[in-house]
Amino acid sequence: MQSSDVISVNIWQILISLLNLLILFLVLKKFLFQPVKNVLAQRQKIIDDHFENAQKAESDAKSAKKTYEEKLAAAQSEASEIIKTANKKAERRSDKIVSNAKAKADDIIRQAENDAKLEKQKAEAEIKHEITEVSTMLTEKLLEREIQSADHREFINTFIEKIGEDND
Amino acid sequence: MTVLPILCGILLYVMMTPSSEDIEISGALIYFELNTPIQTLPITESQVNSWFVIISVFFLCLYLTHGISATDPTRRQHILEMAVEKCEGLVLDNMGEYFKGFAPFIAAVMVLSAFSSLLTLVGLYPPTSDFNVVAGWALLVFILITYYKFKCGPVHYLKSFGDPVPFLAPLNVISEVATPVSMAFRHYGNVLSGSVISVLVATGLQGLTHVLLGRLPGFLGEFPFLQIGIPAVLSVYFDIFSGCLQAFIFAMLTMLYVATGFPEEDYKAKLKKKAAKA
Repeated sequence: MQSSDVISVNIWQILISLLNLLILFLVLKKFLFQPVKNVLAQRQKIIDDHFENAQKAESDAKSAKKTYEEKLAAAQSEASEIIKTANKKAERRSDKIVSNAKAKADDIIRQAENDAKLEKQKAEAEIKHEITEVSTMLTEKLLEREIQSADHREFINTFIEKIGEDND
Repeated sequence: MTVLPILCGILLYVMMTPSSEDIEISGALIYFELNTPIQTLPITESQVNSWFVIISVFFLCLYLTHGISATDPTRRQHILEMAVEKCEGLVLDNMGEYFKGFAPFIAAVMVLSAFSSLLTLVGLYPPTSDFNVVAGWALLVFILITYYKFKCGPVHYLKSFGDPVPFLAPLNVISEVATPVSMAFRHYGNVLSGSVISVLVATGLQGLTHVLLGRLPGFLGEFPFLQIGIPAVLSVYFDIFSGCLQAFIFAMLTMLYVATGFPEEDYKAKLKKKAAKA
């Protein structure tokens, strides 16, 4: 088997070698660079998606927080409002109760006073009657005869009334 | 599948290589010749080995890209992505944004050159030490350079030879032609000289052993002790280091020549003018 010279120039061999390089270029482009780049692009897309989602979630969370805070503040003001009105109501009610109680107490006191007055009047009348009886009896005993009670009663009554007036 | 073509190459080499005792520095073996116009086309070891390299790289690509996914990358995929991104970064740094699509081409240049040179590691004839092979690559680079120079129109292209002063035009033409020639010869010469020096050193060491230890009795006198280890050091330099370095240099020069040859500003101005007219 013969071999070529150390330096030999052959136009066809040069062309073949040129085509070889072109073929390898196409092979690398199609089978190495394209798949890798596709994968890299896919990964970039996934990362971008994740990032976008995260940003969206963050903004969502922020807005949700804001609305919750607003709601909370509204609820707080409402609660304080309710407490205030309740306080007012309670005050009004307690005032009413106290005034009612006072009125009732006054009534009771007045009744008691009336009762006491009546009792006194009754007692006075009774005492008067008894005194009249006793004085009539005494006078009967003193005069040893029964006096015309009707006549004398009038007289005694006026007398006792005078005493009562002096006492009053 | 990746190593199969290489094994075929070795088998072919072993089957076709004539046994010889002499040290011989020659070109690639010619497997057969085709009758073509202008020149006959010999199908040599360098052609066949190049094809084996291409097939190997093709299956390597298939293996590397098989089952890659965007979500859970394996270690293989990490390495692959790193390599691809390194290559694109290199192209972007050296050639600029406009030539971004050049990354696979530069990768092809590097891979083909490096793997071709590294074929010596398995004992095959490196296609890069055949002038025709690297000349073909350099020719393609020259075509690319000229294509991008032509982007601004033929008038602009011809004018560029009269730069900076018109009477230097012949020199400019020479330098234009010298670019691919120098690229081809640099690569080819480096790889070939590496093999030549390796062969010479190995032979020299054999002779040296014969002189120094030839008096030893029997088998010991015949055994080339000095050939153990020392050629391996040279092989590390010439086959691995030099092979990869030449591949890198070839790729770098391709990038620089194509990128610097392209009058980007003029082209953009032209595009703008066209856009304004339309």
